[in-house]
This record gives sequence, C-alpha cells and structure tokens, in this order.
Amino acid sequence: MSFRWDLVWSSMPMLLQGARLTVQLTAIAVFFGVIIGTIAGIARLSKGPQKYIAAVYIDFIRGTPLLVQTFIVFYGLPGIIGQPIPAYTAAVLALSINSGAYVAEIVRAGIQAIDKGQTEAALSLGMTSAQTMRYIILPQAFRQILPPLGNEFIALLKDSSLVSVIALEELVRKGQIIIGRTFRPFEVWLAVALIYLVMTFSVSRIVDFLEKRVKNGV
Amino acid sequence: MVSRQPMIEVRNLYKRFGNLEVLKGVSLSVGRGEVVVVIGPSGSGKSTLLRCLNYLETPDSGQIFLDGVEVDPKRNLRQVRQEMGMVFQSFNLFPHMKVLDNITLAPQKVRGTDKESAEKLALELLAKVGLADKAHSYPGELSGGQRQRVAIARALAMQPQVMLFDEPTSALDPEMIGEVLEVMKKLALEGSTMIVVTHEMGFAREVGDRVVFMDDGHIIEEGPPREVFSNPKQARTREFLSKIL
Ligand SMILES: Nc1ncnc2c1ncn2[C@@H]1O[C@H](COP(=O)(O)OP(=O)(O)OP(=O)(O)O)[C@@H](O)[C@H]1O
Ligand SMILES: [Mg+2]
Repeated sequence: MSFRWDLVWSSMPMLLQGARLTVQLTAIAVFFGVIIGTIAGIARLSKGPQKYIAAVYIDFIRGTPLLVQTFIVFYGLPGIIGQPIPAYTAAVLALSINSGAYVAEIVRAGIQAIDKGQTEAALSLGMTSAQTMRYIILPQAFRQILPPLGNEFIALLKDSSLVSVIALEELVRKGQIIIGRTFRPFEVWLAVALIYLVMTFSVSRIVDFLEKRVKNGV
Repeated sequence: MVSRQPMIEVRNLYKRFGNLEVLKGVSLSVGRGEVVVVIGPSGSGKSTLLRCLNYLETPDSGQIFLDGVEVDPKRNLRQVRQEMGMVFQSFNLFPHMKVLDNITLAPQKVRGTDKESAEKLALELLAKVGLADKAHSYPGELSGGQRQRVAIARALAMQPQVMLFDEPTSALDPEMIGEVLEVMKKLALEGSTMIVVTHEMGFAREVGDRVVFMDDGHIIEEGPPREVFSNPKQARTREFLSKIL
C-alpha cells in the first residue's frame, strides 16, 4: 500500500467547496456570537434580573456539548415550534448561540480588566452607565478581548465540523462523502486536516495583525 | 468672598464598608469661592467623604446640598455630578482617546455642546493648564504632571460649580508636583470653589481658606490654615501635624 498524493489533490476541489461552507458558517456564527456575547457579557455584569438569565445561558451552553446543542436545535426545536428547521439555519443557530456564551465570558473578563477608575472618571463627569460602557469601557475592553476572541474564532472554525452530523456539507461532511467513493480515508482526512490548518493559521495571522494595529493606535 | 448660601453643605454623613465605619457623622459647609483643604491620616475617611459628595460612594445616611439643592441619587444625580468636577490621584484619563477627546467627550455627550464649541473650550483649558501643544497626544505619551493637568482640564470642561481634588499630587514624582499645584492655585485665585484632599501643607497654607482636619471618620478641627497649623486646639491635630511638618 502506498500513499496516493493524487487522491489528496483530486479531492481538493470538492473539499474546498465544503471549506467554503465551513468558513461561511463560522463567519456568520462569529458575527452573531459577538453580538449575543457582548449583550450577555454586559448583562452578566449588571445588577438587574437579566444578570441571572445571562448566567443560566452561559452556564448551560458552556456546560453541554455543542453536538447535543445542535441536536436540540435541529431535531428538538421543530417539534416545539411545529415546523422543520433547515439544516443550514439550525447550524447557524446552534453555532451562534454556542459561540455567544464563550464570547460572553471573554467580554466579561475584558470589561472586568478595565480599571475601576475609568468608570468613576466617566460617571463623575455626569455620563450615564450606558455612555460609560459605550465610549470608555468597551473600546478599551476590545483591545483586551481581541486575542481570546481570535482563539474563539479558531475554536469555532474547528467545532463547526460537528454540524456535519445534520448532513450539512461542510468540510468534514465532504470528506466523508469522498471517502465513501474512494475508500481512502488516510489521504482524504489528511487533506481535510491540511485545509483546516490553513484556515486556522490564516485566522491567527489576521488576529495578530489586528492586534498590532490596535496596539499602535494608543 | 463667602456668600450666605453655602455652595456645598454636608449634614451628618455616615458611611460604613461592611463592619468598618469610615464616616461617623461628618458635617461640613463650603462657601462659594472657598478653598477647603482636607488633611488627616491615612484611612481617616478623606477620600470617602469626597466620593460621597458626588455619590461615587453612597452614604448610609446624612444629607448633601449643592447650592441649596439636596443631592438625591434618584432625581438629580447626574446633574449634580456635572456640577462637581473630580480630579483623582491616579488621573484616570481615558487612555484610548487623544487629550482633546478626553476633554471634549463629556461636554458633548452630557451637556450636548456641539463639537466646535467643545473643542474651542478644550483648547482654552489646555492653554490654561499649559498644555496647548498636547491636544493631539495620547495620555500615554504624557508625564504624570501633564496627565494630571489634562485631568484638571477635563473636569473643568464641564464648567462645574465645585472642584473636588483627591490627593492630586500623591502619585507624582516630586519634580512634577509644583506644576499641578500651580494650576490649582490659579483656579483658586479665579474664585473656584474647591475641596482639596492633600498632604501638601505648603499648598494648604498658601491657597486654602480653611483647613479641615479629619481623623477616624470625624472632623476633629477646622479653621484658617494659619491657626490650625500654628495653633492647633486638639491634641490629635497637634500629633498629626507634628508627624508631617
Ligand atoms: N470600597 C471600599 N471597601 C471597603 N473599604 C473601603 C473602601 N473604600 C475605603 N475603604 C476603607 O475605608 C477607610 C477610609 O478610607 P479612605 O480612602 O476614605 O481614607 P483616606 O483618608 O482617603 O486615606 P488615604 O490618605 O490613605 O487616602 C480605609 O480603612 C479604607 O480601607
Ligand atoms: Mg484617600
């Protein structure tokens, strides 16, 4: 038995198609994840009842597997709302909600890392809590948050492979399909792994770049 | 110099942190244009008193009046804060904003001043604190003394009725203390109402209209600087002064 490079190459076009979906899903989930996570992270630090809602959400998501969350959305939710949810929508939903909880913790830590004197200075000038958050805390927290947020994106890029279980043809699913036809798992999974590596490496480069830009802005 | 209606009146203020009682019934009246210097040992409650005035700490009981109006956090907290500029020991400038934006942010967002007037005022204030050329620097590019002068300009930009200073020079290298005190003296001469917590006894003597000595959550003694410094009536004041003078 020999290693067949030609199979690695010939599966590339189809795998790249899957990778496109992987990137798309991740990008959308990151987008909504940041929105959800910012809201949940701020809510978690607030004093009202929303604090507890946010805590339950964050703990539930972080304490359960993404796979199970995906099943709940794809197989469970339709029974409750009375209509099927397309796999794509279910995947975006599950990934966004999942990412939101992790981003919330990142946002919370980022906000808490900002010196209390910043808030006091803003309040002493007559600013509202919302203005203080918007103009003083979040812009500074963003700098703190960027590296862990980058790591979260990378994690999500890899974790998105789990939605292959609901038959969404992202990168892993495409790999499975090709193996079904070629019976060459080693070459195909290696090709899949290489594509993931290129994607995660690119993201971390981009994050590094942004981090430097932000640092130089000070 | 001091009008009948006090600018700030504090009545019987109490504040505790857990089991630690920090303010034990403090009453104080500050006249319009008066410069009151608060001195006292570490932990005596000076910062807490100042921070209760603008409700950065919520007092447990007691009343605070600003220009005859009682401070009520439910009704007029933000208005009151706009009228009390605060300068902190650790400057607390916004590091992600240029000096100019540090100064113009609150007037725009809180007072609703338009950008052009806010910048005009900011540049005037920067000139006043001797930093006209630093408008486009970031706080991180300034020395401690320069940062504190920007912080003063930032507080002044809200055109407050009272300025509160909490040990504004304590975090500074000795050679920078003078430039900050100089700015504060200028404000005092212009007739600003000021409450200054400081260990700078020279400043207290020269600029203060009145010195208030605090110890253990009480105001022990107050009076004109000359009297308090040269002829303290209370034993605790004498003891404190003997340690620092
Ligand atoms: N947020 C807080 N929580 C708990 N204890 C506090 C808090 N703020 C102040 N204290 C305590 O209250 C006491 C009085 O503090 P305060 O800062 O008012 O003293 P101070 O006179 O300003 O002293 P210093 O000269 O050291 O600044 C101190 O024992 C301090 O540890
Ligand atoms: Mg203090």
